[in-house]
Amino acid sequence: MTDRASSDTDDLGRPGFNIRSLNPYLFIFPAVLVMVCGLVYPVVDAFYLSFYDWKIGMPFETAPFVGLSHFKRMIFDADVWESIWVTIRFGFWTILIEMVLGISLALLLEKPIRGASVFRTIFILPLMVSPVVVGLIWRYLFDARIGWINYYLGMVGIEPQVWLGDAELAFFAIVFTDIWQWTPFIFIIIIAGLQALPSEVLEASKIDGANWWQHILLVKLPMLKSIIVIALLMRLIDVFRALEVMYILTGGGPGRATELLSLHIYNRAFDTQQLGYASAISVLLILLVFGLSFAILVFSDPLKEKSDI
Amino acid sequence: MKLTKIANGCAGFAAFAAACALGAAALANPYEKYAGTTIVVSWPALAHFQAAETLVEEFTEETGIEVEIDALQYLKLRDRQILEMSKPTGDYDVVSWVVMWKGEYVAKGLLTPLSQYFTSGSLVDPEYDIDDIADAYLQNGGIVGGKKGYMPGKSGALYGIPFGAETSILAYRKDILEEQGIEPPTTYDELRVVMKQLGDAGIPAMTSRGRTGHQVTAGWLLHLAPLGGKIFDDQWNPTINSPEAVEAAQVLREIAQTGPTGIPTFGFGEASAAFLQGDAALYLDTLKIAAMSRNPKLSKIDGLVGYGLHPVGTRCGSETGGFAVGIPANSQNREAAFLFIQYITSKAGDQRMVELGGDPVRISTLMNNADNFDEYPVVAEQLPCADPDWRPLIPEWNELNVDVLGQALTEVITTDDPIQTIMDAANEKAREIMEREGYYTWASYRGN
Repeated sequence: MTDRASSDTDDLGRPGFNIRSLNPYLFIFPAVLVMVCGLVYPVVDAFYLSFYDWKIGMPFETAPFVGLSHFKRMIFDADVWESIWVTIRFGFWTILIEMVLGISLALLLEKPIRGASVFRTIFILPLMVSPVVVGLIWRYLFDARIGWINYYLGMVGIEPQVWLGDAELAFFAIVFTDIWQWTPFIFIIIIAGLQALPSEVLEASKIDGANWWQHILLVKLPMLKSIIVIALLMRLIDVFRALEVMYILTGGGPGRATELLSLHIYNRAFDTQQLGYASAISVLLILLVFGLSFAILVFSDPLKEKSDI
Repeated sequence: MKLTKIANGCAGFAAFAAACALGAAALANPYEKYAGTTIVVSWPALAHFQAAETLVEEFTEETGIEVEIDALQYLKLRDRQILEMSKPTGDYDVVSWVVMWKGEYVAKGLLTPLSQYFTSGSLVDPEYDIDDIADAYLQNGGIVGGKKGYMPGKSGALYGIPFGAETSILAYRKDILEEQGIEPPTTYDELRVVMKQLGDAGIPAMTSRGRTGHQVTAGWLLHLAPLGGKIFDDQWNPTINSPEAVEAAQVLREIAQTGPTGIPTFGFGEASAAFLQGDAALYLDTLKIAAMSRNPKLSKIDGLVGYGLHPVGTRCGSETGGFAVGIPANSQNREAAFLFIQYITSKAGDQRMVELGGDPVRISTLMNNADNFDEYPVVAEQLPCADPDWRPLIPEWNELNVDVLGQALTEVITTDDPIQTIMDAANEKAREIMEREGYYTWASYRGN
């Protein structure tokens, strides 16, 4: 306390300005700058743009101010709501299956069994593949005419399916692809969490006679709660950001069967050049992601749990 | 002394004459003024344009004008070109657009009218002969204005020259039709019967584009014009739920039902590949299929393909599409750019494109090469009834094309729902867009 007080006074012991008091601000300045340039500015600009009817190629000065009409139109636009519904369904199935699979595999491969490291390396490969390549790989695998999936189905006597040309099958295809790509992410996070669990607690539960199921359900998973919530949150945000794979795999079709909200915004902005309207929908997307993230953080408070541990 | 004066006078005269001769020589080369200039060309990474790269090298060799090519996937061109042409000073000096973008480019003030160059005695080659370029191509790709805004007329102006333009013809597998005892269809009634016959025989009949958005709309539009339909009436009221439009959608549904597996996922590449790989007996789309079928890297059916006119419905009317080239308003090298466009679309350039494996745009080139390529006589016969107004090239077309028709027609080919109901809903949506964009303002003002 004395040191701190002395650092905030001048040579005569009077309170005054000390250059060192600026240190914290200097340290966080680069992060704040990046946040302002990379996040705050685009969001504010999108919000500003949503009040104008601007098309790429026209000088922005000539774009008419349309007030809240884009937001009004958005509320009554069935296509927007359909995209939100597709996004919710997509998020529900992908996150549910990825969490179950990722956690289960992490629990199974946690112990140093023979070949586990090889499996882990192979298993996380999809994470290292660029989304565009993932889209292309699965587009050709699902291709109705030349795809391997239909080829192997044909070998067991199943008729070829138009995977990407049927609404339900195409939806299944994007869910399946997402699970293939992102389950390893959950796996890695959970396995890292498992390896960081305090060994004394685990040993204590064994000494107390907990069986395998009790060990997992009553000891490990509760201790992993904060990590699971953070993984869930990251995947949830990813679901709303997902674009590249769907763009390549289905382009949102057939119809709007696989048109996630982010893809809908892209199509509105660049296919039909309605940048103002697309910005208004982007504002809705930001609010949705913000609201969901906030809700999860409030209800689960993973950081508090972590500090409690 | 006198002799010296005479000699000096002679030398002076000789020098003057030499200077005049040099001056005359400079005037005799229309390219000399621009030698050393570098122009940047934006065009698609498609076969015709790849073939044109040799012609571009020859242009540089002959004129001294350097050319940099920025080739992009064709559906990505528009965004890139608009961004470049919107800057005060753009990087592009020549742009090649898909014909449906021309209205938007002109409406946004991004293109230079070509009339100022076609009236320049020093730039225009007297042998250029613009009248030799197929009318339908020129109207469809290059002219903006007129009563509809995208067709010739008293307010029309020339903004581009077709290069890589196309019309639709029927391509069929001679061997399959012969084996099945089927004559190539010449009318839509015959086409529908043939598709059913082939389907019943377990042979995938006709391939088609069908992917949601632009592709499925393109597939449907091919049938709309010959069946007598239009997108709008003369007052810009949408007519995509007319009996003709519904019939065109019915034809598309039948094609999807009897054609190769996967039509609802086919873009241009997939639809063509299905035919070229032997998975479909009929192909009704761009004439470019002919050159592709001769390319052993793409095709397994070289020598097995016959060509016929686009089948006739209530009228004859094939598509007109492909690309045209023009000069951005913000180009810094417009005259050199014009010379480049003139060179590649001249009679000699057009003939050279044929030799390089590209598609000609001139009637004379088609006729001169009719003996060498099976499809050329068919194309020459098709072009007089190619319809430059088979789709409305207005700035709003992209939204109608992708968001309205592109969605409705997917429903047509992927469900069994009544087509009339689907097209009624699409028509209503199209009307809302036209209303939003102010097409009925005058009618409303006059109380119509």
